[in-house]
Amino acid sequence: MKKRVLAIFVVMCGMMVVAVVFADLKKGYYRPAELGSLRQTAPIELSPDSNYQVSAYPVLGADLVPGDGRQEVQTYCNTCHSPIYVTMQPPLPAATWEAEVNKMNKAYGAAIPEDITQKIIRYLQAHYAVENRTP
Amino acid sequence: MSVADRSFSRRGIFKTLGVMTGGITLGRWLESSAVAAQEPVQTKAMETFTGPSANPHWNSVGPYVAEPQKVPLILLTDRPVQLETPRHYFRTAFTPNEAFYVRWHLEGIPNAVDLKDWKLQIEGNVTNPLALSLPELMQKFKPVSLAAVNQCSGNSRSRLQPRVPGGQWGNGAMGNAMWTGVRLRELLDVAGVKSGSLQVQFQGLETGQGPKGFGSNLFLKSLDLANPVLDECIVAYLTNGEPLPMLNGFPVRLVVPGYFATYWTKSLTWIRVLNSPDENFWMKTAYRIPDTPRGNTNPEDMKAGKVKTVPIERLPVRSFFIWPDGTSKIPVGMNIRLQGIAFSGFGRVNRVEVSEDGGKTWLPAELGEDHGPYSFRTWGMSWTAKSQGRHTLAVRATDEKGSVQPYEPVWNAGGYLWNMIERQEIVVGKAS
Repeated sequence: MKKRVLAIFVVMCGMMVVAVVFADLKKGYYRPAELGSLRQTAPIELSPDSNYQVSAYPVLGADLVPGDGRQEVQTYCNTCHSPIYVTMQPPLPAATWEAEVNKMNKAYGAAIPEDITQKIIRYLQAHYAVENRTP
Repeated sequence: MSVADRSFSRRGIFKTLGVMTGGITLGRWLESSAVAAQEPVQTKAMETFTGPSANPHWNSVGPYVAEPQKVPLILLTDRPVQLETPRHYFRTAFTPNEAFYVRWHLEGIPNAVDLKDWKLQIEGNVTNPLALSLPELMQKFKPVSLAAVNQCSGNSRSRLQPRVPGGQWGNGAMGNAMWTGVRLRELLDVAGVKSGSLQVQFQGLETGQGPKGFGSNLFLKSLDLANPVLDECIVAYLTNGEPLPMLNGFPVRLVVPGYFATYWTKSLTWIRVLNSPDENFWMKTAYRIPDTPRGNTNPEDMKAGKVKTVPIERLPVRSFFIWPDGTSKIPVGMNIRLQGIAFSGFGRVNRVEVSEDGGKTWLPAELGEDHGPYSFRTWGMSWTAKSQGRHTLAVRATDEKGSVQPYEPVWNAGGYLWNMIERQEIVVGKAS
């Protein structure tokens, strides 16, 4: 009886080792993904003249957080640069956002009306500052 | 067979196994572990921004984007275009043109240049203004070639603490190429610089929506005529033996060896000799560094107006691990080859060292081929992880002027001149 129990125990241990090996050798797992998340661009038509051209540069846009002032950011800031300039930034102190928007007016001559300037500053401070930035 | 079928049949195998071992309990245990292991490693997209702490990744975190004449590169901004080169393209001393990083300031980037109309103008305070076509540039002047690193002033800006606004580059806003073109000095000599001239200004085809006289309208950079770097400058029409990609400045760009890329005007079209200092935004306000050792300061002194600034110039010495990059585990005891690049804008890199103990002691690496003082220099070192666990390696370079990379970070408001010793964590697994 004792021998039989021991034999079963040994076999069980052996099977467990085999099972563990199999469990760690993982194969054939796939996950659903989106086809064309980054599509290739087809080559453009070339002509042997003196004009050297490339296709239009892609605009990807940016997901600005919904809120009061978003429309103004999209309209005014977008004159010179896309709003991805906002979403690319790390969370910044509120004072830095104020300085950035003022720089656009003073240093870059953006001439955004004063009330809209303030609205844009408040929007950026409310959504892209250290205290409130969300992924 | 679908994923679900597959895991179901796998479950079947373990069930059978369970019955064979004579214990239903054991079978259950095996089954549950098999189910838990359905996705071996969970897939996670890169975060969309980093901060307020430093960006922990080698590159910036943006998505890949396919732009004209380019392989997928890391997007910083789409309009104007700013793209970063992924790390693995730095395994070689010369960066492929299609992977070379891109940084424009203004949204009016050329999409087409008609060479029957395009002329390089040399104008301003000269006796003989010139308008040279591309064939004239190629045929009337002796072609010269030079390997030189082009690095954005803000490369690695996302490392700074506290973080500063601006392009949140990782380390990939740099590239090395063999530039071929004509010497700037020859062009200036033919045009005849008048006495009393002070600077030479460079303007490309790039334009912006901002009002005239503002930095948002034109991107202009200048160098002093007395600056010896002018003798080394090339007006390049080839990069790595190929025409420049449009996004890198077709048909010609200025090459300023050893200097930050802000001076390497793309789609260069006007070379203007000035008899008074250039006070435009891009010289007087932007691209300036504190006039302190290493350009280092702090937010308090900056705010208090204590910091005098000067235009940014040469590239401080840097070195990088390119492989291993921390994305894969290394089995313990395996003799692997650490690889990377190094460069300095002050002269050739003549020493690269690796530290296994956080920078207390340093081992010499082998240097790759010398392509000249301004080129990337590859380095390599055979290394064996002696123990399983997490190892942090450090790398530092020394240039021929004796400058060595520091242990300390740098901070300035522009996010410029980052060059502290780079570290790479390597996860070493058991080999048996």
